Amino acid sequence: MSRLQSPSALKRKRPDSNSQGMTDQESVVYKLIHEKENMGIWVRDIKRSSNLQDTIVNKSIKTLLDKGMIKEVINVQNKTRKTYLAAEFEPSPELTGGAWYDDGNLDVDFINAVKKLCSQKIKQLKVATVESVMDSVKASGAFKADLKKNHFEEIFGALVLDNEVMEVESNGMGEFAGIKVGKVCYKAIGKRRVGAAAAAAAAAEPRIGAMASIPCGVCPRISSCTPDGVISPGTCVYYQKWLDF
Amino acid sequence: MVSQHGILYAVHLVTDQFGNLVAKVCECLLRNGALPIHAIVRRTELPPAKVKNSLLVLIQHNCAQAFILEESVSGEDAGEPGKAHTQYIALFVNILHRVRFSKFLDVVSKELGGSCGELFRGLLEHGRLTVKQIVDRADANAKESTNTVQEDLHKLVMAHYVECCPAPEPLVPPPDPDAKKLAKSSKVMVESLTLEQRVMAVAMPSSMRRFSFVPNTDQIADDQQNVNQPPNKDVGQKRKLHDLESDPALEEEVECNWRANFEELLRRLRHKACVDTIKARFDDVAATVLSAMLAASRAEENKVKTANSVPLSLDTIYEEVVKNEKNHSMTFDHVRTCLEELSSPPAFVRTDDESYSIDFTQIIEAAQNQEIESIILKRYGEAAHKIFRLLFGVGRLMETDKIADTIFAEKKETSKTLYKLWQDGYLLVEKVMIGFWSNI
Repeated sequence: MSRLQSPSALKRKRPDSNSQGMTDQESVVYKLIHEKENMGIWVRDIKRSSNLQDTIVNKSIKTLLDKGMIKEVINVQNKTRKTYLAAEFEPSPELTGGAWYDDGNLDVDFINAVKKLCSQKIKQLKVATVESVMDSVKASGAFKADLKKNHFEEIFGALVLDNEVMEVESNGMGEFAGIKVGKVCYKAIGKRRVGAAAAAAAAAEPRIGAMASIPCGVCPRISSCTPDGVISPGTCVYYQKWLDF
Repeated sequence: MVSQHGILYAVHLVTDQFGNLVAKVCECLLRNGALPIHAIVRRTELPPAKVKNSLLVLIQHNCAQAFILEESVSGEDAGEPGKAHTQYIALFVNILHRVRFSKFLDVVSKELGGSCGELFRGLLEHGRLTVKQIVDRADANAKESTNTVQEDLHKLVMAHYVECCPAPEPLVPPPDPDAKKLAKSSKVMVESLTLEQRVMAVAMPSSMRRFSFVPNTDQIADDQQNVNQPPNKDVGQKRKLHDLESDPALEEEVECNWRANFEELLRRLRHKACVDTIKARFDDVAATVLSAMLAASRAEENKVKTANSVPLSLDTIYEEVVKNEKNHSMTFDHVRTCLEELSSPPAFVRTDDESYSIDFTQIIEAAQNQEIESIILKRYGEAAHKIFRLLFGVGRLMETDKIADTIFAEKKETSKTLYKLWQDGYLLVEKVMIGFWSNI
């Protein structure tokens, strides 16, 4: 061997490896994952796009995970799909579910806490806009999470569905003075009593409709019930329980 | 048109209270519409005397009405041109009201007191009574004085809970053909009246006569002196002319039988339901203001199912509010603020040029929605309740994922709940192909 040969020529290049110590297959897999940035990629999509054998893809993913170059995340849209992300990226809200999800599961406690606080603020303000409640909640520093305006809009929507608040439009007069005409506002429903009346209303059970207060109104077998049938008012167990006072 | 279940139920009620014979005649009228007596005899295969007595019972208890169609009077009748044909029609709604008597009695007793309630009970039990019969009954039961009874009857008539009975055999004109042509030409939706409605519209006395009762102590005292004489009239029949000639001023009153006015009771219950709905949605102050508006506009209401109340000024409403001692502390501004609240969308009160009127349609729709939501909540749970409110509010198709996100529920659970609601017919489901048309 000649002494004039360059030092690099002396070193023979390792077959199937690159400067990061990855094999070619691992490199292909890593490139596919990295390209997706914070959206992540499903393992089946990796297999399809790389045209590599399943065993090779699985082995490459395991190696990359061990090296800490990629991470597995839970996709709330499809929890059974294994989704991988390059280590330097944070998963997007579409993957994680956003502020309301924690480790792929709906954070019910957090949602209820936000709903309760917003409901209290609406009662205090009597007529509230999304912005006014958002500012008030952020000023209180009650939550570490960075909640945006759309998050509060979702919470207000949920409060309307719970029948705790109603959505109204400002007419600029009276209680809406100071709020632009046509702006969407929120008011508490039926809980504006004060003193003893408020305590009594709070302690009382929610108002049940007339049909819901009798067995037939909520009976799952109403369509099969006839006066002389197997299922009939005469033999009805729900009626017996209801009348047995 | 009355449904089959409705007919069965009405016949059951009449059987329970008046027996099989009367029920058979009633069923014949309900199934076949208005019929003359000979047709009823033929269809029921009962003796004419029994059919007649059954009809008298039904009329006495306001479950049927006799009438004569004008076209049958002027029409040709072989051998006897111009002969009137008295027909009889069953009053289905009044039959159903019989199960509500205890509720009606409760309403009257709470508002006007026990003695008025007792008098009203007598009218419900006997269908229709003359003043003398009312006095006699009160005397037999509670030994009340004639004056007290007359005062109670006066209170009931002034409150419109009791009315003068309709004419026994009114002449019903044919429907107005010009009205139909006008409706067609102007393309306006005109509600055509059923035969029953036309008959009752003609039979009813004018509102002045219908609710006009002046206590007449002298005449009743005279009547009581004659109480030992056997009654020579059946209930519901008019006295003969010579009996009335002695006192023409009494003629109208003596001829008048009195009965419970179901229309007014329904109106009061409808108002009560509206006030309860507003109270649940807002607060006691709003309920007070609405009650005052209803009280102030009650006299002007013509129909039970009216869409809007008559417009009232703020001053009128305030005067009505402070009439009640409990509301003396309410100020003018209180009332105005409350009305502005009720006027904001969804507007339960309409404003028009400084006057306010109640939108009954809006309030009743809110109450109906509340009933349905209550059923869904109790039967399927909170998640289903939210889903129903969401889909009802948006009024269009919505994707399952979007529904789950909006109500903050897991997608799997949401799908199960949606399926249950769809199975029981509360929801419509549609599969929509997305992405296909966008590639074309």
